[in-house]
Amino acid sequence: MTIVDSLIALTAVIGTLIVAFVVSVWLPGVERKFIHARIQQRIGPPISSPGLMSPIKFFFKEIINPNSPMPRLYNSIPLIGIIITIFLLIIIMPQLYPLAAFASIIALVGLLKVEEILYMFMGALSKSVLSLKMPFPDVVKGAKHPDVPRSFVEELSAMRAFRLIAFGSFPIYIAIFVPVAMASSIFLSDIVSYQQVHGPVLFSLSGILGAIVFFIGFMILLNEYPFSILKTKADVIEGPLLEYASKYRAYVYISRGLLIFVLSSIFCTLFLGIPPNLLSWTILVNILMAFIFTILMAVVSAFSPIFTFKQFYPVVAGVSVLGILAIIASFL
Amino acid sequence: MDEDNKITIGNSKNQIIETEVPMGTVHSAAIEPYRIRLFVEDEIVKDAEITIGVNHRGVERIMEGLPVEKANSLTEKICGICSNIHLWNSVLVAEKALEIEVPERAQYIRIIVAELERLQSHLLYLAHGNEVLGHETFSMRLFYIRETVSDLLCMIGGNRVQYGVPVIGGLRPRAELDQMRIQKLNEGMDLLEEKISNFAQRFVSDPMIMSRITGVGTLRKEDALKLATSGPTLRATGVEVDLRRDMKEYDPFEFEVITQDGGDVKSNLLVRVLESLESVKIIRQAANHLPEGNITNRSWDMQDAPITKSYVEAPRGKLYHSYALEDGRVRHSIVRTPSIANIGAMQYACIGCHITDAQLAVVQCDPCFTCTDRAIQIIRL
Repeated sequence: MTIVDSLIALTAVIGTLIVAFVVSVWLPGVERKFIHARIQQRIGPPISSPGLMSPIKFFFKEIINPNSPMPRLYNSIPLIGIIITIFLLIIIMPQLYPLAAFASIIALVGLLKVEEILYMFMGALSKSVLSLKMPFPDVVKGAKHPDVPRSFVEELSAMRAFRLIAFGSFPIYIAIFVPVAMASSIFLSDIVSYQQVHGPVLFSLSGILGAIVFFIGFMILLNEYPFSILKTKADVIEGPLLEYASKYRAYVYISRGLLIFVLSSIFCTLFLGIPPNLLSWTILVNILMAFIFTILMAVVSAFSPIFTFKQFYPVVAGVSVLGILAIIASFL
Repeated sequence: MDEDNKITIGNSKNQIIETEVPMGTVHSAAIEPYRIRLFVEDEIVKDAEITIGVNHRGVERIMEGLPVEKANSLTEKICGICSNIHLWNSVLVAEKALEIEVPERAQYIRIIVAELERLQSHLLYLAHGNEVLGHETFSMRLFYIRETVSDLLCMIGGNRVQYGVPVIGGLRPRAELDQMRIQKLNEGMDLLEEKISNFAQRFVSDPMIMSRITGVGTLRKEDALKLATSGPTLRATGVEVDLRRDMKEYDPFEFEVITQDGGDVKSNLLVRVLESLESVKIIRQAANHLPEGNITNRSWDMQDAPITKSYVEAPRGKLYHSYALEDGRVRHSIVRTPSIANIGAMQYACIGCHITDAQLAVVQCDPCFTCTDRAIQIIRL
């Protein structure tokens, strides 16, 4: 590879990242303005508000240090989340395929797992005022169980994040392995090449099943209704994200929009054989898929109540079985 | 858990409890300020304790010594949702004590307003219940349905909240119903009946929602009676008790007392849905058979009276008002809201639930802590 080629590749990577960022700031707005608000027969926020204007606003807010045992680490986690999301996008770009193992399913799964673990750290490191003692003694004479240790609501969400790491992420990982099984390779370059020759994985039975499983996994990873037990309004409110304010809250918003784009691009790469690449017109497919995923997710979430684990376990189990069937079908 | 002795075990201090999760007094799932301490093991609630008292205003204390008309209008401020029923019950105390005959037309209009208030309270309950379930779409749609009721209340009383309709001896002149208003009422009832029925059909046919609410926050009939719960919370356990059956004002009207057997969130939600349709039925009867005549009886004299009690069926249950009259002023005023009795049920319904369902178990009892707070007296420890 010549220096010119390297420069072109670098430009393409940076350009794709910029496109991803520009598109991702509109996705939360599409979700809330065009889907949620329309379904709920209300006007909704301006389309630029949730993904673009809110982060800008939060960047200029006063920084408030949260009540946390490790405030610096706690504050830096959303930024780490963004960096991991960017890495996820970079490794699926075709310019990175010569790096072999780095552009493989192993790296993809590893980075997605780190993204999940971050929620557990967030929850464990946050201790909001919501669970503190009252200014008056609420454990008075006659109160029930006065000596029980207290737990913060964020600790609850940390425990839930732990459970999700254990079982909630099964669908997305099983779905990721459907194209791997079909291409008989863990390298993204091979998976893309396989689809250029044999057609997209999505246009097969196992591909369709895998796509359904991937979509459920996508919603679980984004903690979107009905899979948002990590941040249920009825108990833990925002859960791990509760104490983020000012620019840290802005990072949370940016991270979410970017993750939607990146996950839909992973889907395009694995199930359509179209990796995000600024140097090809196919980048439009990635952008379109990001909007399709956003719209589908918004429609599902608008008509669902939050699942507790009683509903969560059977859904994950059922979807995982579907994913395994998809993998088996890919061998047939 | 021993099912036969659930209350005793719920309050026992000997069981192993892993941790306490305190929530409130400010919490996104609670529309009112209250504190709930959940004692949990692996996210399952083993015991619960609700504390109120942060919004205390002592309405009863303020009422002491006020002229009865002023004291009555003050009771309307006890609750924003069921303001009319407080005012009506307080007025009923004075009418009972002073032996005032209320014109029949006024009784009918009072019933219309009371039932409209029940409708908006139940619809608010359903909307809030769906919000706590995490179903924002249903919540929003219910609030839209509720708009019709609020508009009708505004048409009669001039306000969307605190309509100030009953006065001693009858009604405020503003609340008189002419033909145009009766027509609007009937149109509103048609619309509400259609929308509530459609909602109910859609609601019960949603498997995800049914999975969340069936068998959650169960309160058994025996426990509900032991805890002295009242209103729809009691009726959702299968007890057919409705004070409207004993109120002479409701004698001319035909309606069913709605009961469900489950005692869980589903039963509570369905009781309110079906009661809303019964309220529509009562309003239609009252509006279409409205007697002619005056709406206020002004021929009464003020006199001293001993402590007089009155009970009415508020949207949330049994509401009690009592006071004595001395030189036209209120003495020994006591107000007891339904929530004071239902708090026990809320604490109890949480037991055995997942934490996410605990708030739902509280909400299913239709709490109105703010009314309760304003009425009770705080004992400083």
